[in-house]
Amino acid sequence: MNDARTQPEGGEPAEPVQEPALSVEPEPVTDDLARLWRPLKVGEPLPLFEPKPPSGLSYRPDTVCDGWSTKELHLRLASVRGYQHRADGSPREDDVAAAWDRRTGTVVFAVADGVSAAEQPHIGSQLACRSAVETMLAQVREGDGFVADWDHLLKTVRWQLVEQTRRILRHSEAGAEQTARLLATTLVAGTATPAEGEVRIQLVSIGDSGAWQIKRENFFQVVGGKMAGADGLVSCAVDPLPFISGVIRPTSFPLEQGTVLLVGTDGFGDPLGDGAGEVATLFRARLRQPVPPLGLAHLLDFSRETFDDDRTLVVLWLRTETPGGRP
Amino acid sequence: MVESNRGHLLPIYVLADESGSMMNHIDDLNDGLRSLHQALLGEPMAAAKVRLSVLGFSDDVIERVHLVDLRSANEFPLLRTRGMTSYAAAFEDLITRIPVDIAGLKAEGYQVHRPAVFFLTDGVPNMGEDWYDARRRLTDRTLTLGAPNIIACGISDADAEIISQVATQPEFGFVANEGVDVGPAIAKFCTALTKSVIASGRSLTSASPQLVVDKPENFTLAIDVI
Repeated sequence: MNDARTQPEGGEPAEPVQEPALSVEPEPVTDDLARLWRPLKVGEPLPLFEPKPPSGLSYRPDTVCDGWSTKELHLRLASVRGYQHRADGSPREDDVAAAWDRRTGTVVFAVADGVSAAEQPHIGSQLACRSAVETMLAQVREGDGFVADWDHLLKTVRWQLVEQTRRILRHSEAGAEQTARLLATTLVAGTATPAEGEVRIQLVSIGDSGAWQIKRENFFQVVGGKMAGADGLVSCAVDPLPFISGVIRPTSFPLEQGTVLLVGTDGFGDPLGDGAGEVATLFRARLRQPVPPLGLAHLLDFSRETFDDDRTLVVLWLRTETPGGRP
Repeated sequence: MVESNRGHLLPIYVLADESGSMMNHIDDLNDGLRSLHQALLGEPMAAAKVRLSVLGFSDDVIERVHLVDLRSANEFPLLRTRGMTSYAAAFEDLITRIPVDIAGLKAEGYQVHRPAVFFLTDGVPNMGEDWYDARRRLTDRTLTLGAPNIIACGISDADAEIISQVATQPEFGFVANEGVDVGPAIAKFCTALTKSVIASGRSLTSASPQLVVDKPENFTLAIDVI
């Protein structure tokens, strides 16, 4: 159940996780798995129904999840197909990828949300995540754990999208407009670099995917997200890849003890809203400590009416004395 | 305390001409709205994101349905023919109605998208009436909270140029093709309205939420007829 790229660079982790998992004892066998895995209800839930298979030529799983821990960090990620896409037989348009540089201990990650109006948004988001992670990893190796040129990173992702468009359309002159019609996608890409006694986070965001921190029991938005218009209505403006307006500078900050970093698409950001509602309460309570990857996917698949978009989340916790969760 | 993020909603207003000239066709329109209701019952996730008002206009505006959740609505009250065709009365009503509706939905904890008005008329506005200023104020986003997108559809004696001026974008103005009977044209309008409501509802929480407008069959863009 995993198509995300999460293999640590260079094979086995340098320092394998030694701690016991959070779920020390496996649960007794239950006869009612359907009940055990029912979506968590938040407020008024969506109707229950059997999902349709996704359309498209290539295999596209409904749900992906993954997780591992480095010496300094616990990482968990999940991407779930939205209820609307399950109902109408569309593939999951979100994607996610993460990787690790063994020498510096840097974790790199990306989430992307293919724009529904594009013809192949799931290809756009997958390509954006994978090329972003590969490019970040290459720069991290050369740059002592840091991405030195974020502009180059974004241009590389854009180039990959345009090249893929040219291959799909068999049109060697296809440019940004054709790419946008075929593969438009948002992107948040970032690194978590252990250095000088801290873990430094760097993030860039294109479009309305975003990043948040849970700090002192409150959500704080770090980058991205939807902005309300001047009249307080929800703004529909999305400026996705392959368009890059100006030079994008990374947001940089240390990940503090007791703080959880969440990087996700608007399928998570919209129901989270201002961080004061029931969805925020649920995630604050459940993510105080690392959860098993399957648990994150289940949590992210919560059911609340009108919120039926694909949802994707990467979550990072600083490694402390608290043992990290494994499934 | 009311939660500030219970969900995302798109308010949709059907603003239908109830003037006397609609007498022979008002049943077609009522039938079409019933079909819309039935179709939305089969699309509960899209319906959850829409609140529908049905307004009949002639010399004034009568609210037939107010921001209803179509999943829980009973029978729609019927549109009834009466009076003349005052576009000004219709737009003035929306200028006061929409900001109040938006404030109400936000007070209930919803995030609100820009409203959409589906305007249907079979005739020209009252002679000598200045409806342009009301339409301008209604759609000016600096003057009216929630200034709507207007999709205008003209049938029978409607004037393509006027329909084009009512619509907020050239691609939102439609007139029925010459020779098309009014009854079937209304049915096509309602079919397109239903498709637009469902598609917009589905789109609302995607990465690119948008008002989806489906061109009614046997209609032409008004801008192409002028």
